[in-house]
Amino acid sequence: MIDKVIYVLFAIYGLSGVLYFIRLIKGPSIVDSILAADCVSLDVALIALLLSIYYKNSFLAVGALFLVLWAFILDVFAAKYLTKGEVGT
Amino acid sequence: MILTLMGLILLFMGAVCDLLGAMGMHRFNTFYLRLHAATVGTVGGKFYPILGVAFIAAEKGLWPVVGISVLTALLVLITTPVGSHALAYAASKARIVEMELDEFRGEGDA
Repeated sequence: MIDKVIYVLFAIYGLSGVLYFIRLIKGPSIVDSILAADCVSLDVALIALLLSIYYKNSFLAVGALFLVLWAFILDVFAAKYLTKGEVGT
Repeated sequence: MILTLMGLILLFMGAVCDLLGAMGMHRFNTFYLRLHAATVGTVGGKFYPILGVAFIAAEKGLWPVVGISVLTALLVLITTPVGSHALAYAASKARIVEMELDEFRGEGDA
């Protein structure tokens, strides 16, 4: 039963990821693209965790942890270099 | 059985929040409003579903997935507000996106 339900969840989260990705491509400013990249990476982390319970494999879940940490590092370092004025506008 | 049911309820609630956040990214027209939509889509749409994944994995007996899921959910809950606050500060400080009504500089009526 749960395998059929996970197909529906893959579809919904994949659609959300595509919508976030469209905003990443056409974002008017650079901070919009960074925000959308943050959301896309967290979405991919959630899909990786769903895949790990779909295939009953524990090794697939390890990537989710690093994707979440990567999103945080992206936010903080982009904010740092935008504030100092080295990149952006 | 009850753990799987709780996990599925959390996953579907999170799917609704995630879709609303993804639609809000296109409906709102300013960066500061899109920040609100992204935070709804992240805390409501990623934190609760990851806890739901932990419940389902506990029912199936995948204990490493339970540990990684709970750790990832706590990391999302802590790091997402910090990240969005830092981005809003950078956008305001570097004047990438101008505020329409800035209460701190004494412009406007508010």
